[in-house]
Amino acid sequence: MFPTPIHKASPALRIGYQVLLPVALVIWLIPLIGVAVTSVRPASDLAAGNYFGVPSGLAFENYAAVFRDSPIGWYILNSFKVTVPTVIGAVALSCLTGFALAVYGFRANLWVFFAFVAGNFIPFQILMVPVRDMTLKAGLYDTTLGLVLFHIAFQTGFCTLFMRNFIKGLPFALIESARVEGVSEWKIFRHIVLPLMRPAIAALSVLVFTFVWNDYFWATVLVQGSHAMPVTAGLYALNGQWVAAWHLVSAGSIIAALPPVLMFFLMQRHFIAGLTLGATKG
Amino acid sequence: MPDTAPSAGFWKRNQLRIAPILFLAPGALMFLIYVLIPIVQSVWISFHDWDGLGAKVWIGLGNYAELLDDDTFYVALKNNLIWLALYLLAIPMGLAAALFLNQSVWGIRLYKSLFFFPFVISQVVVGLMFTWFYAPDFGLFSQAIHWLTGAEVAILADERFVTLGIIAAGLWPQTAYCMILYLTGLNNLNPEQIEAARMDNARGWRLLWHVILPQLAPATFIAMVVTVIGALRSFDLVSIMTAGGPYGSSQVLSYFMYEQALSEYGYRMGYGAAIAVVLFLIMMVFITLFIVRMIAQERNR
Amino acid sequence: MAEVSLSKVTKNFGAVSIIKGIDLEIADGEFCVFVGPSGCGKSTLLRMVAGLEEISSGALKIGGRDMTQVGPSDRGVAMVFQSYALYPHMTVAENIGFGLRMTGHDKAEIAKRTAAAAKMLQLDALLDRKPGQLSGGQRQRVAIGRAIVRNPDVFLFDEPLSNLDAALRVQMRGEISRLHQDLGATMIYVTHDQVEAMTMADKIVVLSAGQIEQVGSPLELYHRPRNLFVAGFIGSPKMNFLTVAAQPVAGGTEVTLPGGGVLRLPGQIAAAGPMTLGLRPEHAQAGGAGDAVLEGRVKLAEHLGSETLFFVELADGSEIAVKADGLAPERPGDEMRVGVPARACHLFDAAGLALLNGDLTR
Repeated sequence: MFPTPIHKASPALRIGYQVLLPVALVIWLIPLIGVAVTSVRPASDLAAGNYFGVPSGLAFENYAAVFRDSPIGWYILNSFKVTVPTVIGAVALSCLTGFALAVYGFRANLWVFFAFVAGNFIPFQILMVPVRDMTLKAGLYDTTLGLVLFHIAFQTGFCTLFMRNFIKGLPFALIESARVEGVSEWKIFRHIVLPLMRPAIAALSVLVFTFVWNDYFWATVLVQGSHAMPVTAGLYALNGQWVAAWHLVSAGSIIAALPPVLMFFLMQRHFIAGLTLGATKG
Repeated sequence: MPDTAPSAGFWKRNQLRIAPILFLAPGALMFLIYVLIPIVQSVWISFHDWDGLGAKVWIGLGNYAELLDDDTFYVALKNNLIWLALYLLAIPMGLAAALFLNQSVWGIRLYKSLFFFPFVISQVVVGLMFTWFYAPDFGLFSQAIHWLTGAEVAILADERFVTLGIIAAGLWPQTAYCMILYLTGLNNLNPEQIEAARMDNARGWRLLWHVILPQLAPATFIAMVVTVIGALRSFDLVSIMTAGGPYGSSQVLSYFMYEQALSEYGYRMGYGAAIAVVLFLIMMVFITLFIVRMIAQERNR
Repeated sequence: MAEVSLSKVTKNFGAVSIIKGIDLEIADGEFCVFVGPSGCGKSTLLRMVAGLEEISSGALKIGGRDMTQVGPSDRGVAMVFQSYALYPHMTVAENIGFGLRMTGHDKAEIAKRTAAAAKMLQLDALLDRKPGQLSGGQRQRVAIGRAIVRNPDVFLFDEPLSNLDAALRVQMRGEISRLHQDLGATMIYVTHDQVEAMTMADKIVVLSAGQIEQVGSPLELYHRPRNLFVAGFIGSPKMNFLTVAAQPVAGGTEVTLPGGGVLRLPGQIAAAGPMTLGLRPEHAQAGGAGDAVLEGRVKLAEHLGSETLFFVELADGSEIAVKADGLAPERPGDEMRVGVPARACHLFDAAGLALLNGDLTR
């Protein structure tokens, strides 16, 4: 283990470390803590200039007010309407493409694979004008479906990279063995590979959920009205209305951040496994 | 079933050739329509004057020529370079955080998760948090600066500091990302190699430099990739925190493009596309480097 | 009838030629072992028979039918993989029955055949376990069960015992041989372990660098190796090779040994020249009884209890291994006289081809 485990160090260092940990954490999370505290600070505190002292009370009504006076509930619903189908679509497609690229040695294999990988890295702006135009022409502008279709397509790049490498890690003899037994390629995928992909599917689902939930760019490019607007773009719009109403902005921010945060804490192992794919082996 | 037999035979014989195409088709088609073809279309549009509705007018390199005379373009380009350079700080900072947290004391798992927290949050929320953090008069950061130096600074309204302020906001989640990459890397170190190095009397920095870092090379590579891409993609924070202001001083190419293409003063799709192409070309340099390295790795497998 | 016949079979990966023209006939019911050092192409050849690798040129027939272009599932073969390739998410019973289920056999039939295979391999009690809960030997049996259940004409084994420990390997060797007797099916078995090859095979095919060096029964290969490669590969410890000068004389061949001793071999050669004399360690006589004597000094003695293996350095610096009685008293540093029995000696020409074989069965 590196660095040397702290329990082998002197007692003073050990205690110092234990003290330093929470201090470092608080400093690290100060912007977050500040916003969290502000989100429950009564509006009267802000008016009185008590911006970061002890709140005079816990104003959960800030949250109630946000839900009551703004369409944030609706935005959250839109975010789910975009995110959940995207997760299902992108993961399903990439199971197929990943399988194709991992198992078959056709000539264009590596090129197709690198097209997916490279596409994943390009700036969104190079896609913006044509994708917006296409979505308009298809009558999908300002709909959650328009966003879903784009996100599925784009996330398929990353997901394919992920799935292909995961399947490559499975013993190839499993597939060959099934071939000798006369199992068709589809059934090999369905009955042998797919059941073994469960951890990869879990990891990708959590990751894609977070990526798509947190998307802001496409939410502003492909959506205009609030009826299809996801919470990221919605929050930005609300920020414009709530000038200086920081208690509301903060509460809204916390609400918007909550679903991916919950997802992260519930599926932490999968999340990190997905994110760090490739960080340990060459 | 005599008449189905030949087709079944055909399928059986060619299954291994046809199956990959069928598996690949849905995903590849979506990717083609929404990603690969639009790249080509954007390049095409960049040679036109187009408001997004009417007819496209071919103006050749006109948009690019205009770009060369546009001061905002140079500001954006310069800011992108600053982003790139400073964003890379996330890598050593992430490594430092990972080394700090790679202990097995009680509750360390929770600490690691909480340190990672900023990455999970949407950049919109991060932007709002830092806007609040930087707010003149009452923002925590401004208060701290005032308390330390006596000066009043409004980071996001000051041309000198605005880009640095936004980058600092971006570094927050990015450092967390690099940290988690390094934590995983540290977790998978070869313990025998470290023990051998310790028996060879390597300690501290020298152990880190000569033994640990080489083993962390894959993590460093991934951290480089995501950080460089992240720096050049920076859009959300600029949009949320300053919208490129004050007076365009925090512009970056991605936001500049968006602003030109969908601005309130009229849509300039062709000009926007030209900016996007420039950004794309810059990124292609890095993407190519990454892909070349990945190809080398694939070959070595 | 499931005889396997290969004619002029080759395999290229790009410009690299892996299998360089193999002609081979394997009779119905025969146990044929492909053996050779790693990288010799034996596994590739097996996979070509299985249909997992395409045949670049040449023809493969199984049971008289041309299978060169036929997919693996239609060749009537079953394969046991080195890694066993058990499906980790299925129970033993599901693993064994999977191929049948996927090819549309009805449930009762699958259950019946699975039960029969499990009984044959003593897996009855393990049918509900997952592969992760099995020992190495049990996994091996499941892999074999998966092959048996399909009633193949030809069984293919790709180094199936290499992941087992030594004791289990001996046991499984016996079980596979017994299975072969019970089923009477054609079996092709790949291994790099010449002991496995010698103990199990009806017919051994020695491969090296994509070519057949020799085909024959175990004893044929032991007693009549066709060339230096086979002579060195078959037998453990390895055959000793001595550089000698040989010349034809009346009624035999005269060989000048290192150190000057002269040995007369039965059998004629055509011309004189520098040659290689082969003598197995078990035929060299510690103590010096024989038709000629080599003098040397013991460098190393390996005491195995039942026998002792001496490594003896000769006057010219070459070294030979001598298998002696377990109670032999010599120690490193001692002088040793090694007797060479003429009838056990092999003589190879400069190109490595055997001119004379000391076939003790004659």
